Amino acid sequence: MAQTNALNWFLHRITGTFLIFMLITHFWVQHYDHQAASVTHEVVTEKNEMPDYPEEAKAGVEARFGPDAEATPYQVVMQRLADPVYAVLWKGFNILFLIVALHHGFYGLNNVMTDYIRNPMGRLVAKSLSWTLALGLLIIGMYSVITAGW
Amino acid sequence: MAVDTKERPPATQQTDATAEQESRVQPYRIRTGMFAWMMHRLTGVGLVVYLIIHIWGLTALTDPETFNALIAKYHSPIFKVGEFGLLVAVAYHAMNGLRIVLIDFLGWSPKQKKLFWTLGAVTLAIVAVGGWPSIYALGEWLLGPGSMPTLFL
Repeated sequence: MAQTNALNWFLHRITGTFLIFMLITHFWVQHYDHQAASVTHEVVTEKNEMPDYPEEAKAGVEARFGPDAEATPYQVVMQRLADPVYAVLWKGFNILFLIVALHHGFYGLNNVMTDYIRNPMGRLVAKSLSWTLALGLLIIGMYSVITAGW
Repeated sequence: MAVDTKERPPATQQTDATAEQESRVQPYRIRTGMFAWMMHRLTGVGLVVYLIIHIWGLTALTDPETFNALIAKYHSPIFKVGEFGLLVAVAYHAMNGLRIVLIDFLGWSPKQKKLFWTLGAVTLAIVAVGGWPSIYALGEWLLGPGSMPTLFL
């Protein structure tokens, strides 16, 4: 038990360091790359209105799905996943990202809960519930990543 | 009235000093390190909550219509404000976490204070550059198209 805690403490720092680099990549692709960004930064829209995408994104979607293809948020994501090699790389990255983020977040959450819950039974319940939630999120997250674009 | 003994002083004559000592709440002096730690906790818990919502939201990827509706919602003003707040929390947590790693692994504790303020400046730079698109979008929406300068975009 003590050894597991020391390992987790060490892993928390390692995953944290990895997350800095993974988050930079994630933010860049999702928000700043004009072709791949699914949330286009400059735009605030009114209710139910679709955001307008930059020329790079429109050109990318047309090149991938034909001249009639519309640059909707879904299509902008799909153009990235349409290339098999690229898709495997991104899916691999996202699965790794998911595991690292969940471990880091839920280990940290457990540290916080252990500090405030004094009762051993309460700690066990909090620990079991939180890791069950993490496992559930891992499963639905993996499902979303793997099936996206199928 | 009974005789007051040394062992059992009267409750009415309790001084303020003893009352303070018996209080369950200890007054803390909040210093830089303590403040950094509290903010790390607060942003950490906030980010776990966000992570849960974020992973759950991504199940929308299985259906184009649902996904488009979700992303359209992410462009509404309130989400742009949230997006900026999220960046602040992430940037702070990442840079303070880096400070912890440098202290734990490389033994940089003598340089703690300097490290804290240096990384604080880096955090501000990340928030300014990274958060500009959200501020720009909100400014354009509030003040009208063309009213914001197109920096870094």
